[in-house]
Amino acid sequence: MNERYSRQILFPGIGKSGQEKIRSKHVLILGAGALGSGSAEVLTRAGVGKITIVDRDYVEESNLQRQQLYTEADVAEKWPKAAAAERRLREINSDVEIHSVVGDATPELLEELVAGVDLMLDATDNFETRMIMNDVAQKYKIPWIYGACVGSFGMSFSIIPGKTPCLNCLLRSIPLQGMTCDTGGIIAPAVQMVIAHQTAEALKMLAEDWDAARTAFVSFDVWRNQYTSMKMSKAKFAGCLSCGEHRTYPYLDQENRSKTSVLCGRDTVQIRPSTPREISLEQLAAQLSTLGHTVKGNPYLLSVEMGDQRMVIFQDGRALIHGTKDMTQAKTIYQRILG
Amino acid sequence: MIKVLFFAHLRDAVGEESLTLDAGGKTVAELKADLAAIYNLPKMDTVMTAINEEFASNDEVIRDGDEVAFIPPVSGG
Repeated sequence: MNERYSRQILFPGIGKSGQEKIRSKHVLILGAGALGSGSAEVLTRAGVGKITIVDRDYVEESNLQRQQLYTEADVAEKWPKAAAAERRLREINSDVEIHSVVGDATPELLEELVAGVDLMLDATDNFETRMIMNDVAQKYKIPWIYGACVGSFGMSFSIIPGKTPCLNCLLRSIPLQGMTCDTGGIIAPAVQMVIAHQTAEALKMLAEDWDAARTAFVSFDVWRNQYTSMKMSKAKFAGCLSCGEHRTYPYLDQENRSKTSVLCGRDTVQIRPSTPREISLEQLAAQLSTLGHTVKGNPYLLSVEMGDQRMVIFQDGRALIHGTKDMTQAKTIYQRILG
Repeated sequence: MIKVLFFAHLRDAVGEESLTLDAGGKTVAELKADLAAIYNLPKMDTVMTAINEEFASNDEVIRDGDEVAFIPPVSGG
């Protein structure tokens, strides 16, 4: 093994054989926001063999305070986060195979992406996607590491199919969101603390040091100096529909999914066509300009100003409508442009 | 008496990091309902509970001397 990983190999928990194992692994990171960009950087530097990173959003100015892979140039270009992350991660370590996906983490996409994946890292910002990830993890027996933060508060828990309880055992339903993410803000140290917990567990699993894996659910508040660790041996729910005996993987079912969702912490509604469509962004840009709209774009997306709202359209027909939380209004705007 | 610890937005809503209460014998669900009413807390159903640092379900009974922590799952990332 070369000099690059020498300090990590010197660490007794990893060693030469652990590093070789890390090198042979494929990690899927869901989300390329604060947690995803931080975890991706740690794992890229650690020399993981292959990293796939998925994100549906693009880089905005308010991301720069904590999303460590991105720059002002990414904001100016409205570059999709997954693609911007890939660009930066390749600069950091050309040994690692980086694969980025600009898109929404639907059950179909995840079931396609998990082939050959050894571990999934949660860097999403909503429970709907986490429940999908949780079902995919159980169905394909892939460990995943939950991580989340808001304000100065963060938490993490490793979910290992067949061993630990799953997210559905703990929550039983999707928690109501928005009480804190809209108003609580977020500070970078809380993000970094979650990343530290998630990536430490990831390295243990990738190096196959399973005895060292943490089985407790940790939560902490870096501003109020609280830290708690909760034992989870009693948390497994026998009737769980995701990991119990009569499992149905409910979150992989189309019926349970919304096509329209309000994005956490943002004055934004996402609309996803019922079947992905191929849109010529160039043609659409030309049409909209003719109609007098201000249009900006890059090869991945188009941004259109429409009065108080702004719509960002991706190639697959998905759109983000900024400046509203009203799903009906958002749909109206979407249909006006895309039918 | 039991000690109750609050995390994240629950701590803000209650205004204290911990409370000492006479609630031995109540279930987790009953304690949640009581606290939600007194402090006007948002929906507590999906708030996770630890009793003496161990995960507890909503129907578990709290005993005198227990330390109960309420940990709301958060979604940001």
